[in-house]
Amino acid sequence: MITEQGRILELLLSGAFICQISDEEAWRFLKTSGNSDKIETQLNVLNRTLASAAEGDVFFAAYQSLYDNERKQLGGQFQEISSQLMPLVEWLLLVQQANGSDVPVTQGTAIRLNELQTTIEDTPAFAEQLEKISRNRLFGSTSTQLDGQLKLVFNRLTQLGYVLKPNVEKQIFIATGKVEYLYDVLKFIDETEALSLTEQAENAVQQGSLL
Amino acid sequence: MNQHLQQAGVRLLNALSRHADLIMQVYLSGTLDESKYSPKVIESLCQLGILWRPESDTQLRLKSAVRNLLEGSLHDERNRQIDANIGSALASLKTLAQHYKEALYHSRYAEADAHLSDLTEHVYALTESLSNSVRVLFSRINNEFGYVASIDAKIRENELAQSQVSELLKQLEMFRFDELSELAGSNRELRHLLVVTLQHSFSKVIQELSIVQARLLELIGRFREFKGRTQLLKGFLLHMEQKPDFSPVNYSQLSQVPMLFNQAAALIKPAAVDVHRIEHEQDLQQLVGAIKAFNRSNTSHQPERAAQKINVEEQSSAQFAEDKLRLAVEAYFCQVIDSGERLTALDYHQQHALEFDPEVWIYQVVGGYQGLTMEEQSYFALDTNGEAHPIYSGNYIIRDVELGLR
Repeated sequence: MITEQGRILELLLSGAFICQISDEEAWRFLKTSGNSDKIETQLNVLNRTLASAAEGDVFFAAYQSLYDNERKQLGGQFQEISSQLMPLVEWLLLVQQANGSDVPVTQGTAIRLNELQTTIEDTPAFAEQLEKISRNRLFGSTSTQLDGQLKLVFNRLTQLGYVLKPNVEKQIFIATGKVEYLYDVLKFIDETEALSLTEQAENAVQQGSLL
Repeated sequence: MNQHLQQAGVRLLNALSRHADLIMQVYLSGTLDESKYSPKVIESLCQLGILWRPESDTQLRLKSAVRNLLEGSLHDERNRQIDANIGSALASLKTLAQHYKEALYHSRYAEADAHLSDLTEHVYALTESLSNSVRVLFSRINNEFGYVASIDAKIRENELAQSQVSELLKQLEMFRFDELSELAGSNRELRHLLVVTLQHSFSKVIQELSIVQARLLELIGRFREFKGRTQLLKGFLLHMEQKPDFSPVNYSQLSQVPMLFNQAAALIKPAAVDVHRIEHEQDLQQLVGAIKAFNRSNTSHQPERAAQKINVEEQSSAQFAEDKLRLAVEAYFCQVIDSGERLTALDYHQQHALEFDPEVWIYQVVGGYQGLTMEEQSYFALDTNGEAHPIYSGNYIIRDVELGLR
C-alpha cells in the first residue's frame, strides 16, 4: 500500500496542481506544516521544492536550483503560458458574463454546461465570442456547431486542469485552483510590466466604452 | 369612546381583508392601477388611510404604515429601512415613567395603571424594533444582497448597511442604564421594564450587531476582490486590443525566477507491475485479461501463428512395452488360425511363459479382438469363462477368454 505522503509526492512529481477541488485530502495534508516539511525534504533530493500560489490555495513542484536545462524547460513553459493567457481570459469573461450574476469564475465555481449553452445560444454576441475562443490555437476547434465548440473548449480545459468534471454522466464542471493560479499570473504580469490593468478597465467604463 | 375606536378598527381590518388582492398588488408593484378597480372601493380605501396620493398628478400608493406591516410580517428582504430613532423613544419612556411615579405618589391608582400599560407598550415596541432592525440586516447579508445583480450595486448596498449599523450603534449609546435605574428607583414594575427588559434586549442587539459588522466587512472584502478580478480580466483584454503585439518579458531568464513561473517538469512516468510480488497479482491478472482481448481482435497479424515446418521424429522407445503386448496378442491370434483349435488366453500365456500380468493380458486379448474390423471379427469366436457374482446379480466375473475359429 502506498502511503498518503507517497501518493502526494507522486502527484507533485508528475506535474499536478493540488488544490482543494482537485484533491482535497492531499491539499489538507500539504496545508499541515509538519507534513509539507517531510514532502519538501523528499522533493529536494530530486532538485525540486514545494511551491504554492494564490495564498496557499494551490501547490505544485518547482525547481530548487536552476541550471541551463531547467531554464530551457521553464522558458518553453513560459511561452506556453503567455500564449494561453488571451484565450483563457476571454473564456473566463465569457463564463462570467453568461452567468448573469457578475461574479468572476473562482476556485469551486460550478459551471453547468447546459445552462451556459442556453444563454450563449440566446445571445449572438456570446456565440460570436465563443466561436472566436474555440478557433484559438489552444482549443483548435473546426466545428461550426455551438454545441461542439463548447464541448471541445471544456474538454480541453479539463485536460489542462482548469476545470474538473466530478460526475462523468453530468455536464457540470467545477473550476479548480489552477484558475486562481491564472489570476496570480495576470496580477504578476500587471505589476511587473506596470500595465495598470485595473485603471485601464475603470477608465474605459467611465468613458462609456462598450465592454 | 372606546366603543367607537373598536368599531373603527374592525372596519379598517375588514376593509384590509376584503381588498387583500388590491393591497397586495399595490404592495408588489408599488402603485395602483386605477382602471382595474371600482372608484368607490378606491375612494373608501383612501378614506380609511390605506392608500394615499403623494401628489395630485401621481398614482395611488400604499400608506407607509401598511407597507411596514406587510414587510415586517412577510420578512420581505426589500425592506431596507431601519428605524434608528432610539433617542426619542427613550425620552418618551422617561416621561411616561415620571407620569407613573407621580400618579403613584398621589395615590391615583387608576391613572397609574394606565400609564404603566402605556409604558409597557412603549418598552416592548422599542425592543421589537431593535430586534427587527437586526433581523432586516441579517436577512440582507444572508443572501449576499441577492436582490441586486451587479457587484457594484452589491458594494453600494453593503456600504448602506454598514452606515446603518454604525448609526444604530451610535443610537444605542444613548442608553444610559444608570439614569434609567435611578428613575426606576425601588419600584419593582418599573425596574423590570426599564432595567431588566431593556438591558436584555440591549446586550443581545449589541452582540448581534458586532456579528453583522464582521460579516459585512467580510462580504465587502469579497465583493472588492470580485470587482478587482473582473477589472483585471477586462483590463487585460483592453490592453491586448490596444497593443496586440504585447508579450511579457520571459521571466524564466531572470536571475531570480518568480516561483509562479517555476514549474518543474513531470518526472514520474507510470510504473509497471512486478511479476514477483504477490500483492500485484490482481493487477497482473487484469493486465493479462486485457492482453487476451487485444490478441483476439488481431489474430490475422501474428507471425508466430503462420504456417511453419514441423519435424516429425519417431518416438520409438515410448511405445515399446505396448508394442510387445500387441505383438504377443497378434502371435496368439496367428497360432489359433494356424492350429485351427480353440485355445484360452491363459493357456497361451502359460505355454509361452509370457511375462505380462495375466489380467493385463486378458484385457489386451479382448481389446485386440474388438480392435479387428467387423469382417475379421466374424472369422473368430471369443468365449468368456467365468461366473456370475455371488451377491450382486448382473455382474459377471471373467476368469479367462477362449478364442477359436468360427
